[in-house]
Amino acid sequence: MTAVAAGASTRARARLAPYLYVLPALLLLGLWNYYPLVYLIHLSLHRLGASAPMPRWVGLTNYRELFANPLFWRVLGNTAIYTGLVVPLSIGLGLALALALDQRLRGARLLRTLLYTPVVLPTVAGATVALWIFNTDYGLANYLLGLIGLPPIGWLTDSEYALGSLIAVGVWKTFGYFMLVYLAALQSLPQSVLEAARLDGARPWDRFWSVTWPLLRPTTWFAIVIALILSFQAFDFVNIMTQGGPSNATNLLVFYVYQNGFQYFRLGFAGAIAVVMFVLVYTLSGLISLWYSR
Amino acid sequence: MKRVVGRILLYAAVLIAAALVAMPMYWLVVSALKPSSEIFTATPRWLPGRIEWRNFVNAWEGAAFGRYFINSVGVTAAILFLQLVTSSLAAFALARRRFVGRGFILFAVIGALIIPIQVTFLANFITLQHFGWLDSYGALIAPFAASAFGTFLLRQAFLAVPDAIEDAARLDRCTGLAFLWHFLLPLARPTVVAFVLVALVAHWNDYFWPLIVTNRDQIRTLPIGLAMFVSQEVTTDWNLLMAATLFVAGPVLIVFFLTQRYFIRSHVNAGLKR
Repeated sequence: MTAVAAGASTRARARLAPYLYVLPALLLLGLWNYYPLVYLIHLSLHRLGASAPMPRWVGLTNYRELFANPLFWRVLGNTAIYTGLVVPLSIGLGLALALALDQRLRGARLLRTLLYTPVVLPTVAGATVALWIFNTDYGLANYLLGLIGLPPIGWLTDSEYALGSLIAVGVWKTFGYFMLVYLAALQSLPQSVLEAARLDGARPWDRFWSVTWPLLRPTTWFAIVIALILSFQAFDFVNIMTQGGPSNATNLLVFYVYQNGFQYFRLGFAGAIAVVMFVLVYTLSGLISLWYSR
Repeated sequence: MKRVVGRILLYAAVLIAAALVAMPMYWLVVSALKPSSEIFTATPRWLPGRIEWRNFVNAWEGAAFGRYFINSVGVTAAILFLQLVTSSLAAFALARRRFVGRGFILFAVIGALIIPIQVTFLANFITLQHFGWLDSYGALIAPFAASAFGTFLLRQAFLAVPDAIEDAARLDRCTGLAFLWHFLLPLARPTVVAFVLVALVAHWNDYFWPLIVTNRDQIRTLPIGLAMFVSQEVTTDWNLLMAATLFVAGPVLIVFFLTQRYFIRSHVNAGLKR
């Protein structure tokens, strides 16, 4: 009798066990990843912060104020330019270097390590070095300009160049990741197809466009979506190098959220920006995925 | 002949790219070694005339870098430990057990992969405020105690372990958590190592989250400490700033150079699976 009961309880325990194993991860992901999405929408419909210590329902007011704010459109424009350049440049550079390293160059392994290093370098470190190199008076960048006979420019202090400088640093930091992703994809392509194209006498350039590029399609889709999400998240370089300036020339979406939430203490308004950002990123990723799965 | 020219052009292009990448890192190291008199010169010097090791001492004493260092090590270690425990438990169930709701739970884990901290940070800040945890180690660690990435990665690795091994282990009365500890984790070692390295770099380097939740100097981590040091010192001693930058970048670069084949493996699968 007891043996039967023991058997039943062992079985019950075995049935319960998997739920216990997933429970910690599931609770934590729920609390820190999923609940915030719901709470963010709630927050964006309230006023909360310096002017209202307890949340007060305001309906869509935050969104109305946001869309009527010229700075929001400026920030959106900056983010569009930043994303529109960083995504194709870092993926293009990554692909080009992956194709080059795939040619069994001498020293390819060493180059691969070197080119990937900026990816693991802390953003704070990259930003500090960039501040020094882009320093108007004593920076290396202006010295190099001088060598080719050009006058010095305010890389981070002139609103005409500051966003460009951030884009350059953004590409510098991320292209190595896409290089590795492409390199791995290239090395797993079916060699027989590439060999057949070579035997057909196709020239390298044609071979790339008619064989390699179509085969890399899933990789390119993955790279674009990741690059898009990453570049929308750009914050560290902005906060350390320019603080969004000069006169908001480098104010990007996440920095705008941070500024409103943690410098002006308008948490409800910041919530509305974050919701808009989330919707934008995932609508874009969704559209790209749809287009790619045609 | 044409091949040779193409080859040379290819080399030239790759070397130019490599130089552009290497130059800032070279400048970081060289500037950290220069005496102040060689920092503000009209013509930058490519090599220090004299190596000034004292820069590291002065920078270290210029802010509470010892404290930041200990904090960074402690916080990163705690996050990695918690992520390994929660991820391997969840991955074990998701890969090797059949139960009602498994598909849905797996879907929820994968979904969490694409919710970035830049979207969740406002809400998580307010949650921590309710807990009364702001400005504490708990605030730095708790939001990262689980990892969707780690759970997913380990699940893939555990799936690859043949059922025969589990059957054999069961005959030896090695089941449940004992099987996870004695068989699955050792068999999945390359994946475990790759995951630990990626998480290590991500959390050691993290600037955004500690910036949001820390106010006291005693609990700041290295990236925040460096950023504060920079904003106080700016326009003055670039050699000290570069030396301080090496405190943050040095450990992670050393780990990267020693373990790079695991790093490369951690990324190779990413682009292949849709």
